[in-house]
Amino acid sequence: MPIPSEQGRLPAAAHHLTDRDRPVVFEFNGREFQAYEGDTIASALYAAGVRIFSRSFKYHRSRGLLCVAGACPNCLMSVDGVPNVRACSTRVEEGMRVRHQNAWPSQERDFLSVLDRFGRLMPVGFYYKTFHTPKLFWKAARPIIRRVAGLGRVGQDPDPGPHHHEFRHTGVAVVGGGPAGMAAALAASAGARVVLIDDQPALGGSLRYDSRTSAGLPGMGEAPGPGSARNLAPEVEANDRIEVLSEATAFGLYEGRLLGITQGDSMIRLRAGRIVVATGSHETPLVFDRNDIPGVMLSTGLQRLINLYGVKPGTTAMVATTGDQGYYAALDLLQAGMRVAVLADSRPAFPDGLDAARELRNLGVLVLPSHTLARAEGVKKVVGGVVSKLQDGRATTEERQFDADVIATSGGFEPAASLLQQAGARLAYDESSGEARPSGLPEGVFAAGGAAGAHSLEEAILQGRLAGAQAASGSPGAQAAVVRAEHTPAPAQSRPPFQGLEGAKQIVCFCEDVTSKDIATAVDEGFRDIQILKRYSTVTMGPCQGKMCHRNFVDVAALHTGTSPADLGSTTARPPVQPISLGTLAGPAHVPIKRTPLDRRHRALGAEMMDSNMWQRPRLYGSVQDEAMAVRNAVGIIDVSTLGKLDVRGRDAPALLDRLYTHSFSTLRIGRVRYGVLCADNGTIMDDGTVTRLAEDRYFVTTSTASVEAIEEWFKWWMAGGDACAYVTNVTSGYAVINVAGPRARDTLSKLTDVDLSPRAFRYMRAREGSVAGVPALMLRIGFVGETGWELHFPAEYGEHVWDALMDAGGEFGISPFGTETQRVLRLEKMHIIPNQDTDMVTNPLDAGMKWVVRMDKDDFIGRGGLAAAMDRPARSLLVGFVMNDDTVPHDGDAVVSDMAPVGRVTSSRLSPTMGRGFGYCWVPAGLAEQGTTIHIRTGGVVSPAEVRTEPFYDPEGKRLRE
Amino acid sequence: MSFLVNCPNCGERNVYEFRFGGEIVRRPEPDDDSAVWMKYFYARRNAAGQQREWWYHSLGCRRWLVAERDTTTNAIASTGWPGEVQA
Repeated sequence: MPIPSEQGRLPAAAHHLTDRDRPVVFEFNGREFQAYEGDTIASALYAAGVRIFSRSFKYHRSRGLLCVAGACPNCLMSVDGVPNVRACSTRVEEGMRVRHQNAWPSQERDFLSVLDRFGRLMPVGFYYKTFHTPKLFWKAARPIIRRVAGLGRVGQDPDPGPHHHEFRHTGVAVVGGGPAGMAAALAASAGARVVLIDDQPALGGSLRYDSRTSAGLPGMGEAPGPGSARNLAPEVEANDRIEVLSEATAFGLYEGRLLGITQGDSMIRLRAGRIVVATGSHETPLVFDRNDIPGVMLSTGLQRLINLYGVKPGTTAMVATTGDQGYYAALDLLQAGMRVAVLADSRPAFPDGLDAARELRNLGVLVLPSHTLARAEGVKKVVGGVVSKLQDGRATTEERQFDADVIATSGGFEPAASLLQQAGARLAYDESSGEARPSGLPEGVFAAGGAAGAHSLEEAILQGRLAGAQAASGSPGAQAAVVRAEHTPAPAQSRPPFQGLEGAKQIVCFCEDVTSKDIATAVDEGFRDIQILKRYSTVTMGPCQGKMCHRNFVDVAALHTGTSPADLGSTTARPPVQPISLGTLAGPAHVPIKRTPLDRRHRALGAEMMDSNMWQRPRLYGSVQDEAMAVRNAVGIIDVSTLGKLDVRGRDAPALLDRLYTHSFSTLRIGRVRYGVLCADNGTIMDDGTVTRLAEDRYFVTTSTASVEAIEEWFKWWMAGGDACAYVTNVTSGYAVINVAGPRARDTLSKLTDVDLSPRAFRYMRAREGSVAGVPALMLRIGFVGETGWELHFPAEYGEHVWDALMDAGGEFGISPFGTETQRVLRLEKMHIIPNQDTDMVTNPLDAGMKWVVRMDKDDFIGRGGLAAAMDRPARSLLVGFVMNDDTVPHDGDAVVSDMAPVGRVTSSRLSPTMGRGFGYCWVPAGLAEQGTTIHIRTGGVVSPAEVRTEPFYDPEGKRLRE
Repeated sequence: MSFLVNCPNCGERNVYEFRFGGEIVRRPEPDDDSAVWMKYFYARRNAAGQQREWWYHSLGCRRWLVAERDTTTNAIASTGWPGEVQA
């Protein structure tokens, strides 16, 4: 039988969120509990009699519900394996599995609560003070401390997902579905499309649990709170220019009026023309001894339990307040059938003007002005409390004890202004009212309601209307918060300065177990600046991010530093306002990939594919040895469609290329190909490739696979603002490219084309346009791998057709496809560099052994300044080839050593299929760069000798290329 | 970083559509002193405040533009085409 929650309930009412006709059964710590649809985990458990919801972070003190609004850390639980879920704002679902956290064996009986007795041994700054000596001891202790302290455990399973990311736009965004937010949305909808973001399951905000009567507003009638919400909410819902995002949390307000929002498993980035922040306020707990015992709750938290979920909080309550709110809450407690033993009001006089106060007195409730709570009594739950008379704002020994199982506290309200602060506003403290209010809102961001410091429903709604209208009209000027001065005077000081009370367990920060005494100690140790004090004491740095503690923190710090809260300022609010899971932030696992036009052929051949930037390329089809031998002895084909391809045209195209490349291209004759290197202006190599002149005013440029976007950008940058007649088009994906290479390449290709491929007719570094297998193609006679070969560029749509034709035609010669790995080995034998593999950010063509590509005899070009300077000084390191003297095959990145000290590094190293030795490229000091010099390479801790080579290992004269 | 950049061609767009091209510096003349060239290669003002800078609309029209931005607030005062606005 599930544990019922019926005995803790009030009679059902229409404004409750719970549906008593729909029971839901869920599991808590292995036992079944009965709840109702609409319940949160917390409301259901509380109604079933659970009072201890968690154990505190450091001392493992019992903690019960506090805010019931998703702000405090007291109800963090593990739900279906997800840690740190706020039980008070998570609705129960059938079969949900809920577990307590940070306690063993249970939250009711936690052995680690023994830590609470040793609190003296863990003062503020405990970690900084203790974790240094003796080192060995702390090395052993740290894992234990990590287990004892902290929050829930993260599961080891992969994130369940799926998480979605949405990108959206709107004219006006309103954050908060309370009275101010709804009024703002309605007003704004007259002139703009509106998105209203509300973190609750139903619109209404405080109206939903506030049973006060509001009178005198046009169109509001005199209905009590939930009734007023019923007037506004349907109007919002019926308005087709307002979209409501329910149970959605705006966690950040970023530059450009971008809101980060989580809703379920989704993250929404909402860009808004204007933003109205109507996020309400947080009730501040009171600071007194043992103010964290389960049963001590915020007055609004109790109102939520009663009015939203129909839960009866207990039998007898004490109420302690610094303002009118305590009286409203007391009436609700009476309404819920509880006895109110006492109401202690810290203000000096009985508030005669307050209807609720007179009503309470008439109902016989003991009201004690000029009193405050001195301490709560009880260990695992409240059994009573002691109030103390205030004299000149200080607690005296004139005390009275009361029995109670619930203590309602209200220390005033602080604007929930985190989003405003993120947008650049300050939270300014006003000495006269004892309250903080946001000021200095940036353009396009408005505040209304509790977030702007409003005290009454009327004020909140008026502010909302004004903010909404201004947001929609786009008129800058006064922010909504200023209407307050015109419409309602701020009530007299509702919050006397904190004066300090006796007692060691006055919790200021519920997240991190920091007491007022800890703050006093930290101040005594010299931490007097609010920001530094925060970092040292960790107050405001826990899961609540200051929602529960900021006001009290500043007050306590002001008291001990002898300054005023206004002078101390406030801590910095940063996103996220509410915790969000990393999975939600990360979003769906989308990794964009590009496939070449020949992708299906590679897969059919069983190629091992690899990532090459975003491209998928075949690394190998079989073995390097077999593929290399096919290319060297017969014919091979490789898909090089990923090569970057730029079409450069215009009258000034020759001048443009001369300016950008170190080589000269205005002198290149039509139908010829030339290798070119692009340098940055300081002379370092950016990329290389071939440039083919197709016509007087037209060139075809290739770049490395990875660089084409950057090179396109580079070309355009140097043209930007000029009046040159030249333009560049990135045509990379328009063409499939196949390189046919090997001694039988000519035999293979000539079966498919009418173009005369004979050595005299089609020389090395020449280009022809012709038909290959019936497809128009640009044929470049170049040879990255060092054999007779052609690079065929043709429309991508014909990729598979040409590939198949080549494979057929080459069949009789033993044709083989080869992958990028084989290509890398073959080009290394020819000592052809790969930029950014064999070169780095400081490499210039001179050091890389390519002085021949630099033409200092032409006009100014990009890189000239740097290269001129480089020519004036001796090179420190040079790029050379090496071949091992033994069987070692070094790895890319291995060190070249001299007397065991690294003096250079290997950039590419492979086993040579033709030499049968390890070989490659390495950087060595200039003194070791002579042909035949013996160098030493350290591979896996073993140093092996190698010989320097400055000429290609394979076909050094390039005869085979030209054949 | 989530501000908007007003591309003269495409209008206001998310900054992630653009690539930052750095502050605008004048390229020395070929026969300028090597110290001037070195400064041009490696030294930047790195202004805290208004700065004229390059932006490339890589996920849009793929054109370079010039923006005047406050580096402390990311507020962009103006954007325009190089050549049309003084660079």
